[in-house]
Amino acid sequence: MKYLKLIFRNVGRNRLRSLLTVLVTVVLVFVVTLVWSVLWLLDQVTTEKSQNFSAMVTERWAIPSRLPFSYADPLSRGAAHKPGDIQPLDSMTWQFYGGTLDAKNFTRENIIFGIACEPEKLATMMDGLNDLPAEQESQLHEDIAQLKANRQGIILGHNHLDATNKRIGERLKLTGIGNFKGLDLEFEIVGTFPAGRYDTLAAFNRDYYNNELDAYAARNNGRKHPLAERSLNLMVLKVPDRAAFTRLASQIESSPEFSNPAVKCETMASGISSMLESFRDLIWGMRWLLAPACLVTILLVIANAISISVRERRLELAVLKVLGFRPYQLLILVLGESLLLGSVAGLISAGLTYGIINWGLGGISFPIGFFDRFMIPTAALWWGPAIGGLASLLGSFLPAWSARGVKAANVFSKVA
Amino acid sequence: MILVLFAIAVAIPLVLWSIGKIPLSYNLRNLTLRWKTTVMTALAFTAVIALLTVMMAFVNGMKKMTEGTGQPGNVLILADGATDETFSNLNVGDLTEIENLPEVARQNGRPMASRETLLVVNQLTPDPAGGYKRRFLQLRGIEDPRLSARVHGLRLLSGGTWFSEAGVQEASAPESKSDEAAPLIQAVLGEGVAHELGRARSEEELAVAKNRDRLDVGDTFLLGERRWVVVGVIDSAGSTFNSEIWAKRSLAAAMFGKDTYTTLVLQTEGAATAKQFKKFLAEDYKKAAVNAQVETEYYKSLSETTAQFSYAIGFIAVVMSIGGIFGVMNTMFAAISQRMGDIGVLRLLGYARWQILVSFLLESMVIALVGGLLGCILGSLSNGWTANSIVGGQGGGKLVVLQLAVNADIIATGLFLTLLMGLLGGLLPALSAMRLKPLDALR
Repeated sequence: MKYLKLIFRNVGRNRLRSLLTVLVTVVLVFVVTLVWSVLWLLDQVTTEKSQNFSAMVTERWAIPSRLPFSYADPLSRGAAHKPGDIQPLDSMTWQFYGGTLDAKNFTRENIIFGIACEPEKLATMMDGLNDLPAEQESQLHEDIAQLKANRQGIILGHNHLDATNKRIGERLKLTGIGNFKGLDLEFEIVGTFPAGRYDTLAAFNRDYYNNELDAYAARNNGRKHPLAERSLNLMVLKVPDRAAFTRLASQIESSPEFSNPAVKCETMASGISSMLESFRDLIWGMRWLLAPACLVTILLVIANAISISVRERRLELAVLKVLGFRPYQLLILVLGESLLLGSVAGLISAGLTYGIINWGLGGISFPIGFFDRFMIPTAALWWGPAIGGLASLLGSFLPAWSARGVKAANVFSKVA
Repeated sequence: MILVLFAIAVAIPLVLWSIGKIPLSYNLRNLTLRWKTTVMTALAFTAVIALLTVMMAFVNGMKKMTEGTGQPGNVLILADGATDETFSNLNVGDLTEIENLPEVARQNGRPMASRETLLVVNQLTPDPAGGYKRRFLQLRGIEDPRLSARVHGLRLLSGGTWFSEAGVQEASAPESKSDEAAPLIQAVLGEGVAHELGRARSEEELAVAKNRDRLDVGDTFLLGERRWVVVGVIDSAGSTFNSEIWAKRSLAAAMFGKDTYTTLVLQTEGAATAKQFKKFLAEDYKKAAVNAQVETEYYKSLSETTAQFSYAIGFIAVVMSIGGIFGVMNTMFAAISQRMGDIGVLRLLGYARWQILVSFLLESMVIALVGGLLGCILGSLSNGWTANSIVGGQGGGKLVVLQLAVNADIIATGLFLTLLMGLLGGLLPALSAMRLKPLDALR
């Protein structure tokens, strides 16, 4: 205990140096936490789950995937035909739609990108919406009930709501853009996704969308919309485990029902991983250049601060030796001071980053693939102290070793 | 702007050095005497500046690519409401009308118009962990490759040819496998994608490859359910065409289920005509609603991603610079506390307070400059590295293989930042040194 007190007292002795060391560590741990938060989420979504597999069925070769809507029904049964064929636990259709609030001048802010789906599946099939806190879950269920009751209802992500300056209950008219030209949809905003989840997405009732595709032909002398024959973009299927997924994928990919166009069935993690492949080098740079450079900088700064501190305290270290301190105790003393500084700074940094980013800013805006905003995970609260502590231990090892080797006679002879 | 900032940053130490009375050699001797501290502080600067240089080179490479693609005399037509080629569906009837407008240049009576279908397709690649992975490739289906190449101002590297009218050729050595028994689809590759596809080859394939760095004429690859043969490689470095595979449109579009054109590129007499033509199509042309853009402007608009990365890098640069400032501050405070006696003697010798300030400021800037210079040199090694990315926004984007490009602006920014960190980090310790009273310092 006395030893611990000594460590605390030594850290407080040169408050300016301790403060500056803490500040550098706080700042650099902040950068590492941001980078790791982005990588953490990307790793999470690309890591296969052991249970509750989500499988994704898309067009085999082309992107964006465009499948006939007639595929939806047999796919929802997993193309099961024979006794013993496996069927998915649940399924959800995704039909993409993109429209703008201002057809003459469309910008990132006034474009809304959404999915037409079965409303009730939002609560059960969307990752991140099936494990909400009770209050948010109840709100989501209310919004879904409204979406089912009002076929022209729409649930908007927070970013859309903010960018369009609209509120729940207001109406909006979207003019189809790109592939969706000619499909102009009118909606009433019935709810919003919980903050931090699907902020850049909108969801609406697929019945309304499919009716509008049919209505397009009626309005255009029977000429169908270019998407009419292939309006289903992807199908999400839920299966209990890896083995069931393998069987289901085999059933679907070998089924003659899905030959033109051919389909592929992959796990959600694998699908997302493929999409992120385009950002492979950027992610590599974040993982292997940015974060390590910050760690090296922390290490150097701490090593520098501790080495200055040891140099200034050679006399004190010599006195401690004369008083009976063993070399390993001096080593631990210096390492302890450094560990204390690093881990406290790391904890402060992680706490501040978590609070400011998640509660203050609503996430880090870093558009990569279809991810737009990243939250700091709770795990970051231990990353901070761990990074700070480990970097300080490594950085202070050499100075601590030098403190261990202080020779009392040499030091006193110089003083004399 | 960058050069002005850099000039200011360089001017400050030069001015300090010229007005300072305490010889710089005094500071240099102190730095070498405490070389471990100096090296560690400088290395922290090196890490920060090297990293920033690499990140800025990435953004610069992206910017160069989007700004270097396209011809100023070309007008690019997409479907009305489409911001990106991938989401464009053009009506064939409209294309014929537009191609025959008088503003479109002609050669031998033929309009200089390139009809294209851009597709993004999946390719299966072997996964080192077993099984297969997917990657996305950009496939541009075109009708007449020679005409399209003239419109785009592209040419082939030596040894290659454009694909034939049929777009296919017989396999030279038919194998038993069904994919190799079918005729090979001829493809012309951008250099970047040729390099990417070349990386996926097995050791056995590499052992017999005539070009180990990238796929070359005569090499084959699998895409979709067919085997493709490279008949030419486009001299496309520095443009987004670098990442594209070109093939006969009728084959490619049918194979991947896109039966419409996505893009029409029209050559006009020059940049001025292209601008007028674009305006005409946007405002006065009533026969069809299309999205017409001067080709260079279209590619410039893809640099939206560049802006996003620039903001991110700017933010990281500021945060890491703050870290660097605290780091050098720590070192300088320590230097001052160790040299109290020196400061006292200097004051007694008649040096003024401001001269002490200048001396310590210079010392801090020297450490920063040495570390920063080394960082710039290390970061510059990334010049020419290739990286995959996506440029463009609003729901679309192009997959590109870009080259990191370090230029004078980046080096100037790096040196400016390092000197600024040195200046700000040294300021507080230098002020504290300046305020010391001679006798107190000596005591």
